[in-house]
Amino acid sequence: MLLSLVSKRSLEVDSRDAYGFALRPQHVQRYQEYVSIYTEEETERAEKWQNFLDRQESVAEPCSSEEEFQDTFQADGSDSGEESASEEDSRNEKQDSGSSKLDGLEVQHLEKDSNETVGELSKEKEVAEEAHVLDEHQILRETSLGEKSESVKDEAEQSDTDKEKESSVESESDEEKQSQPVKEAIDLNHVEIQQENETEEPVPEAEKCGVDDEKTQKETKSRSVIEWAHIRPCLKSIEAMMCSRVKNVKYMQNKQQTIAGDHASSLASIEESEQNSMENDRDSETFTSRSHSIKEEHDAQSNVSPEPFFPWYEELEVLVRLGVPKDLRGEVWQAFVGVKARRVERYYQDLLAQITDSDESSSDVQRKWKKQIEKDIPRTFPGHPALNENGRDSLRRILLAYACHNPSVGYCQAMNFFAGLLLLLMPEENAFWTLVGIIDDYFDGYYTEEMIESQVDQLVFEELMRERFPKLVNHLDYLGVQVAWISGPWFLSIFVNIIPWECVLRMWDVLLFEGNRVVLFRTAFALMELYGPAIVATQDAGDAITSLQSLASSTFDSSQLVLTACMGYISTNEARLEELRKIHRPAVLEIVEERIQKGRVWKDKKGLASKLYSFKHEGSILDEQKPPQRTDGENPDDDESRSPNFSMNLDGANVDSEVDSLPDLQEQVVWMKVELCRLLEEKRSAVMRAEELEIALMEMVKEDNRLELSAKIEQLEKEVRELKQVLSDKKEQETAMLQVLMKVEQDQKLTEDARISAEQDAAAQRYAAHVLQEKNEKLVTQLAQMEKKLVTAETTLEATLQYESGQNKALSSPRFPRPAPESPKKKTGFLSFGLGWRDRNKAKQPEESNSINTSNATSEVKSPSKESKTEDLLNPETRR
Amino acid sequence: MQLVLLGDSGVGKSCIVLRFVRGQFDATSKVTVGASFLSQTIALQDSTTVKFEIWDTAGQERYSALAPLYYRGAGVAVIVYDITSPESFKKAQYWVKELQKHGSPDIVMALVGNKADLHEKREVPTEDGMELAEKNGMFFIETSAKTADNINQLFEEIGKRLPRPTPPS
Ligand SMILES: Nc1nc2c(ncn2[C@@H]2O[C@H](COP(=O)(O)OP(=O)(O)OP(=O)(O)O)[C@@H](O)[C@H]2O)c(=O)[nH]1
Ligand SMILES: [Mg+2]
Repeated sequence: MLLSLVSKRSLEVDSRDAYGFALRPQHVQRYQEYVSIYTEEETERAEKWQNFLDRQESVAEPCSSEEEFQDTFQADGSDSGEESASEEDSRNEKQDSGSSKLDGLEVQHLEKDSNETVGELSKEKEVAEEAHVLDEHQILRETSLGEKSESVKDEAEQSDTDKEKESSVESESDEEKQSQPVKEAIDLNHVEIQQENETEEPVPEAEKCGVDDEKTQKETKSRSVIEWAHIRPCLKSIEAMMCSRVKNVKYMQNKQQTIAGDHASSLASIEESEQNSMENDRDSETFTSRSHSIKEEHDAQSNVSPEPFFPWYEELEVLVRLGVPKDLRGEVWQAFVGVKARRVERYYQDLLAQITDSDESSSDVQRKWKKQIEKDIPRTFPGHPALNENGRDSLRRILLAYACHNPSVGYCQAMNFFAGLLLLLMPEENAFWTLVGIIDDYFDGYYTEEMIESQVDQLVFEELMRERFPKLVNHLDYLGVQVAWISGPWFLSIFVNIIPWECVLRMWDVLLFEGNRVVLFRTAFALMELYGPAIVATQDAGDAITSLQSLASSTFDSSQLVLTACMGYISTNEARLEELRKIHRPAVLEIVEERIQKGRVWKDKKGLASKLYSFKHEGSILDEQKPPQRTDGENPDDDESRSPNFSMNLDGANVDSEVDSLPDLQEQVVWMKVELCRLLEEKRSAVMRAEELEIALMEMVKEDNRLELSAKIEQLEKEVRELKQVLSDKKEQETAMLQVLMKVEQDQKLTEDARISAEQDAAAQRYAAHVLQEKNEKLVTQLAQMEKKLVTAETTLEATLQYESGQNKALSSPRFPRPAPESPKKKTGFLSFGLGWRDRNKAKQPEESNSINTSNATSEVKSPSKESKTEDLLNPETRR
Repeated sequence: MQLVLLGDSGVGKSCIVLRFVRGQFDATSKVTVGASFLSQTIALQDSTTVKFEIWDTAGQERYSALAPLYYRGAGVAVIVYDITSPESFKKAQYWVKELQKHGSPDIVMALVGNKADLHEKREVPTEDGMELAEKNGMFFIETSAKTADNINQLFEEIGKRLPRPTPPS
């Protein structure tokens, strides 16, 4: 309920989720991604639930007609003013739907003993918060009756509409009902009240003083979130169904007597209630048969599982797996736990009074719980905006009250988280009763001093893991990781702080609905299924555990998880678990017994050693005498009755001061003897039981094995056949591949050859190119030289020409006879050189430059026309 | 190397691990339910490394029923008490005995007096811790998860004392 006080804004500030819980920094982003999915799912499920609840109500509608109120009041209203108050309320509602629905939700029991005035307990804030989800008119139709009559009525209506299914159970009243459903409902109502009175009869004083107390309290205390609030009427039929499976009502009432009878001496009351709780464990078995004589109709319901009476059970189951809408969750959980059937008026207040009274006089055990609770309160959802000073006070009260209520559990770390969670969803007293239901019933024996059932569940879980995930478990074995290292904390914390909150809440929805711990196993399996592959890939123990932890904590897909858990592991059911628990329990008990003995030896230091030693000797003598007397009183084979005994033992054994404070040695002797006898007796019966179980197991295993083996062989054969088929297929494929391969190889060879020859060609060409290049260079230099020579030749020629012309002029003069024949010679020399260069170039004949002159003569002769061309080319000026 | 932390509730086991592994101190740590796991690798001076796989167990008395599950295979046990709480020191003595009886015979044990920063509230003298450690062949150190005092030293010293798997020579 505290959650309703937390504003949205404050949640967004420091990376907290919609419930106000801290998000790990590495998960903030993923959470953000899932927020929209969550919102979508929420809208969808709100619609579906609304639809479901509407139909629930429309079925019940004829019953809550106006006349019915009148009838009820005529029948009941005479002896107190309370009913007329509720009549007024109902009328108010008819006139003013806006405000009266608040009162309507707070309508009190129609119990005769209750003098509380209707409406006094109203808590506008919360109710206003919740009420908007519901159709107002339906609230009005439903609310005006007290819850007792309401629930019975619903059942009556159910049976009316689905009478074929139920005719076997309520056949005597069937006809009557058909004609007069209203009257029948009232009759049942009377019956119910009658019965309630009977069961409450043992505690009339308590009731009376409770009333006085409450009146004074009402004046002094602020009552905002502390007090009891009824759940909304549209959930009544669910509540009625769930309450029918609560069998331990008597348990609480006996205790209340104890507490009410003795407020001051708390030590005495603890001892007494411890005895009571032991008795009650046995009583609970016979309780139903006792109540049988009281009222048949009621008994029929509490004895048989609820499903057959409630045709909508399966529909509800589906809805629960889809998740309970946020606004309904607190109340739906209460309905599932059957808080109504568990609650005893004033019980919680009495416990609280006892706590404050007995501050000094409390026993050491109590002081120890208190100390532990104080240590743990600041470490429960630290920083949660709703767990402020007031929230923590509430948490403290609930935990202390629970410790008083059930001393065999007292306080156990982990309960702080549960109580904290419940407090966020519902008022304090409601949270207390829900916690009581969960710890006393769902997790009976889990959080006691020895945690026996918790250890048993671990063994069972490991066995099932081996069955279901052999590969994973083998790998864990190989890494040296024990399954229980991981699953232990998962189970003990009911996944709180293990997986994201959306998942936790959805898992709790199913857990509380189903009324047993099956979903713990299923959820753990689902997580293993999801993350097993990742774990199998790890190569060291640390990595395996770390990755499983971090993967689990990032499981934001809550629907996937819950549906995998619920759909994938249907064969893991309560019956099977119980079977396995029975097999594993003896081993745990044996270890616990050893520990207790060890605990005693540890006490040696305190000076009890020698005494203990002699007790042991005496004990062995006593052992032979006493057991026969005890067996008639106790049922040694009843495992349930044993766990509280053990817790008593350890309470005594572990708390030194308690032992020391016993006044008299003689008393110690007696106490020790009794304890010892009981232990020995228990051991013996446990051993016997173990033997029996072993035999039974062996037989079962044999049977099982044969069937299983033949099935396995068949399967294996099938697998072998399949494998063979696959193998031959593979072989064919292989040969085909080989052929292809060979072809490819041949091709490759061919191309290789081609490549080599191409390469050779390329090399030859490269070489030729190279040679040409060289020639080219040489020729270019030669050309340059020749050009030079040409130039000189030209100048010479010019000079010669000039000289000749000069000579010609002076031809007459006999002084220059010789140069005439020389000059043509020279000229051809130059020309032939040019030609030779040209020719050689054409023929590509590498020739030494020395040989140029040798070819001169021939080329000169062969191509006289070219000669002139070359001359032109080489010497363009000459043409002019 | 598997290491298990044992000790009374509230002595600061979870805080020590968080300080060592994440370097943080959160005054409002969460209650440990069952046990929780973290791992951290450190380098020693001789340049070898040790990977600590740390199981931080729940401190409440009844959870000690589950402790064997975690200490049975452990190579190192760190027993923690709170120097401001004689009761937690008594509990440490209990754990020493328990481990000597049921732990593996060559387990390396360390005794840690935590919350050394609260020296003005000290109720367990350092000598008492030393004496207990000495008598039982344990390594002793006083730490503070809050100030990080001696936290790394604690694990380094443990690392030094581990039997070498195979001598490197
Ligand atoms: N001053 C001081 N406080 C510390 C120190 N270490 C832890 N604390 C406080 O002690 C409280 C308990 O510490 P935890 O680490 O949760 O204790 P724990 O031993 O793990 O307890 P359990 O989980 O219950 O077994 C914390 O909330 C811190 O505030 C320290 O070194 N100095
Ligand atoms: Mg812790």
